Amino acid sequence: MSTEARKESLRYLFDRVVTPLGYKFTPDEELADFLLEQEVKLERDLGAPYCPCQGRSGVRAEDMRICCPCIPFHREHFDAMKRCWCGLFVHLDVTDPDSLPQFPPDEV
Amino acid sequence: MVDEVMVYALSTCPWCRKTKQWLQDSKIEFEYVDVDQLPEEEQDAVADKAYELSGGRRFPVVVINGEVIVGYSPDKFLEHLKGWGGGA
Repeated sequence: MSTEARKESLRYLFDRVVTPLGYKFTPDEELADFLLEQEVKLERDLGAPYCPCQGRSGVRAEDMRICCPCIPFHREHFDAMKRCWCGLFVHLDVTDPDSLPQFPPDEV
Repeated sequence: MVDEVMVYALSTCPWCRKTKQWLQDSKIEFEYVDVDQLPEEEQDAVADKAYELSGGRRFPVVVINGEVIVGYSPDKFLEHLKGWGGGA
């Protein structure tokens, strides 16, 4: 499957997962496209579409917590930022993703 | 005043890129490492250093004059840059 086709597949799948959680794809199309492309590469290299902005531990149970979409594992943190860590998803009411802060969970 | 700035980044992370771009645009000298681009034998040690500094596995990790900032946060960067009125 080509990178573009896999990006579209992930977009289709993720959309159905994150909408019931109160999230949507970032309206920043360029950012969404870049992040999806990185996830396709990570999936090809490492076996799963891990978060492009988080490091892996090598421990499968831990790494599954950063497999996209990882919102359920970090709900309080992401809800506080109104975005996920990499910014692929934002709260449904967000129209200006550039205005959203990025901070670690210990600052929630 | 010379600030010591180090950025631990991932090549796949757009916020790491934004961080480096912000520092460049602000004419701030900095060092950086794209952890995932290091030779395999070096990756673990550098990644572990970033994890130890940040207390997690999130990138970017920015160290400004010894202060650790996790995430792309220009306001926090400015707080710790002596040349911009921040720092001790």
